[in-house]
Amino acid sequence: MSLPIARKSDLRHDWTKHLFILFFILIELFPLYMMFQVSFKDNATFIRSPWLPSSPVSWHWENWGFAFKLILPYIANTVFVAVTGTVCSLFLAILGAYFFARHKLPGSGLLWAAFLALMLMPGVVNITPLFMLLKSLKLLNTLWALVLVGIAGGQVFSIFVLRNFIEDLPRDLFEAAEMDGASHLQQVFNVVIPMSGPIIGTLAILSFLGMWNDFLMPLIVLRDKELFTLGVGLIYLDGEYVKQWGQIMAAYFVASIPLIIVFLFTMRLFVRGLSAGAIKG
Amino acid sequence: MAATLSRQKLLREWKLYFFVVPSLVMVLVFAYFPAGSAIYHSFFEWAGGDTKQLIGFDNFRRAFHDQVLLNSFVTVSVLMVFSLFQMMPSILLAVLIHRLKSDRWQYIYRVLLVVPMIVPGLVRLFIWKFFFDPNLGVLNGVLDFTGLKSVLVALDHTFHWGVFYANVPIGWLSQPELILPSLFLWGFPWIGAVGVLIFLAGLQSIGQDVYEAAELDGIGPIGKFIYIELPLILTQIRLMLVLLIVATLGGYGLQLQLLNEYGGPGGRGMVPGLWMYNRAFYAGEFGYACAIGMIIFVFILVLTFINNRYVRVEK
Repeated sequence: MSLPIARKSDLRHDWTKHLFILFFILIELFPLYMMFQVSFKDNATFIRSPWLPSSPVSWHWENWGFAFKLILPYIANTVFVAVTGTVCSLFLAILGAYFFARHKLPGSGLLWAAFLALMLMPGVVNITPLFMLLKSLKLLNTLWALVLVGIAGGQVFSIFVLRNFIEDLPRDLFEAAEMDGASHLQQVFNVVIPMSGPIIGTLAILSFLGMWNDFLMPLIVLRDKELFTLGVGLIYLDGEYVKQWGQIMAAYFVASIPLIIVFLFTMRLFVRGLSAGAIKG
Repeated sequence: MAATLSRQKLLREWKLYFFVVPSLVMVLVFAYFPAGSAIYHSFFEWAGGDTKQLIGFDNFRRAFHDQVLLNSFVTVSVLMVFSLFQMMPSILLAVLIHRLKSDRWQYIYRVLLVVPMIVPGLVRLFIWKFFFDPNLGVLNGVLDFTGLKSVLVALDHTFHWGVFYANVPIGWLSQPELILPSLFLWGFPWIGAVGVLIFLAGLQSIGQDVYEAAELDGIGPIGKFIYIELPLILTQIRLMLVLLIVATLGGYGLQLQLLNEYGGPGGRGMVPGLWMYNRAFYAGEFGYACAIGMIIFVFILVLTFINNRYVRVEK
């Protein structure tokens, strides 16, 4: 008999928590809201009413036209860097992790230590010599410089996570594959990759996000406007003297669209993967 | 016995070494080589070209008398204290979400938390720069609207800060005194989706029965946090601490974009990383920049070590 009462009090109890959480999340979403509604205004409308969205009749769609024309080439460059970088980085990391996870060969302990030591080395501090290295490799002002640095930067963390994961895969699977005469590469493709979909997905998203959001490397590497990635492009947009806020906000929104698409398809994977991966790591 | 076994293994599995070679090469070329190069070049006067001059420890001697660098370490220490405070809302939010009884809502909130991540980090930063704008910015708008501005002006009157005046818009990023407060405020309420999800993962092992038992014992919400939740997320807090230390001490992207390459008006936002960047790419003093990089690296190493050694986690 007392059960319904208890549940009701639980609900009322939880409402304060809901309110708190919603309060936080609403403030967190506020920049998104501002970005969206300002993107349809010209400067005059914005100064007259900065907070509320203007009526859809008077929306300035030309802001979005401007934004697409400006941002699309940057997006193309960034997609090239982030996708190539992520795919190559993860493929190499899977091979590396397989090496560490499957057999204890002589020297693997030493190599493992060499990888782990890099976890302590902050990448940003290396930016000066890295710039000179890219210069002497004649890679300055190329997108490949960003791809290569991205691949190298992702190795340690991905190998660290994947090694633990591959070690936990059932031994029988590998033994069965070996019985069938599968080479190591075949085992990677037919056992490891199919079995570790979610964790590879999570690592791919993290790596993709990292390269997508980077602007320090592109800023020192890229010179030509045709090669600009989103980061540098947005920095140049921010440097303009007369600011059309509507155009700028539309540009920011267009810059977010690829991530919106990625998240629509991987939200579940991301939330689950990160929660689960964090326990192991 | 073990030796022969591993030799047998070696003969049979030597091809496996090729699996690790690609990542090893990448890491050697793009991480170890630059690190070595940084150590080597920190002993040179080097403008980035072919000519360089060995000057021994002069770069380091210069660093210890470089007032800008010394001040920048003070600034970055303040920023690190800030980041400790900025971690709290994430912990609070994770605990609140975890205490919800409905799994469905827990999932919905997790997803909602991840949504702001669709905005590229740089865009988020620029939007905040726009929020800080004295005339059009949201922050001054909110302060005017809620009347907090007059509170600030009154406080200014009593304490003689000379910063806030009744009819002058607040120049968050143009007044030297306000640079540090702005660096604290930016990103409010500082919820990092990754952080919250990591804390939530730590909390996962607490079942509802534990809470029910605590309730029977008459333990209040704060008691629950101290006795049940905090011990379980200490590992995660330590992990976040290490990440924060490394990010704050080595980072400079925020200061570079929000302010400028000189750390804004009065150089109040100058951090060591930014000074390194400034010396390398604006002054062409690559050797000195490498030396600053080394000093930052040593600081990060020491702080990480202290954190791992003394911030003990009781299992």
